Amino acid sequence: MNMDEQALVLQIQAGDEEAFAKIVHVYKDKIVNYLYQVTGDYQKAVDLSQETFLRVFFKANKYKPIAPFSSWVYAIASNLAKTELKKKWRMGLVSLEDVPPAVEISTPSEEASDSGLVRNLRQALDALSPRYRIPVVLKDMEGYSQEEIAQIIKRPIGTVKARISRGRNILKKQLEKARAENVSFQKKEIFDGRF
Amino acid sequence: MEDFSLLRKLDRVSAPPDFERKVMSQLSARRKALPQIRRALAFRYSLAGAAAALLVCFVVVNMFVLQKGPLSESAGRTAQGALSPRDFVSISEQVKYSPEIRRASYEPRTAYILEQVSDASNVLIKY
Repeated sequence: MNMDEQALVLQIQAGDEEAFAKIVHVYKDKIVNYLYQVTGDYQKAVDLSQETFLRVFFKANKYKPIAPFSSWVYAIASNLAKTELKKKWRMGLVSLEDVPPAVEISTPSEEASDSGLVRNLRQALDALSPRYRIPVVLKDMEGYSQEEIAQIIKRPIGTVKARISRGRNILKKQLEKARAENVSFQKKEIFDGRF
Repeated sequence: MEDFSLLRKLDRVSAPPDFERKVMSQLSARRKALPQIRRALAFRYSLAGAAAALLVCFVVVNMFVLQKGPLSESAGRTAQGALSPRDFVSISEQVKYSPEIRRASYEPRTAYILEQVSDASNVLIKY
């Protein structure tokens, strides 16, 4: 944590709203984006981000500078996201096996192929269990190290490694399945004489 | 892991323009509501505490007073020595004599009544 941020945290602990506004300004895009990647719902991500920052202000006294301030903010956001996802999960949303594959990777250009892949990835990520989704997003999208992720989700580093690996494997399997189904879809269309 | 480098290609979003203003307005609203929330929480906790204390009292009274009640009461009365007729329960038992009489009928009908008439004991009489 840099000195400016440390000074701002001390001011927030004293109840300074201006210092808090600066912290919100610095972190708002990162937190909204992180929560969007985890929840897959922009409006929900914005609401959870607001709640995250309010908790940062009211629980600032509980922050101890043994870990980076950003990790602490991400930990609060992760807890809120986890609670939200568990709520959705319990309501019986789609399981990973039920995710429909995207069927629009039919044009040969690499860009279009990438967009289809990205869409598949988005669907697979949204269907991934929160247990794996949070570590995978923190590692592969936010660029945190495994040690930092262990601090954020408060789990041993071995657990973090296992969850990242398992989450990636599930995503990979899902992408391969979607690709295979796309290829068979294209072949069927050629056979039917549509091309 | 080419697939996972693609994770970085997923669309990134940023906060809406009025995000900071909304957070700050929520902050001031919550700061104003904080004393009320604290008072409500304190009331709730004190209510729960009172209920718990009442339950503990009930359990203690049940364990130490009500269970030992009848024993200590009778012990106290015995110590005083003055028992009223109410403290006794009369028990009557019926005895059936007919089998005793029937058994006697099998014995000889002669009855010997042995009575000592003199104070001096006669060694010749053998009972």
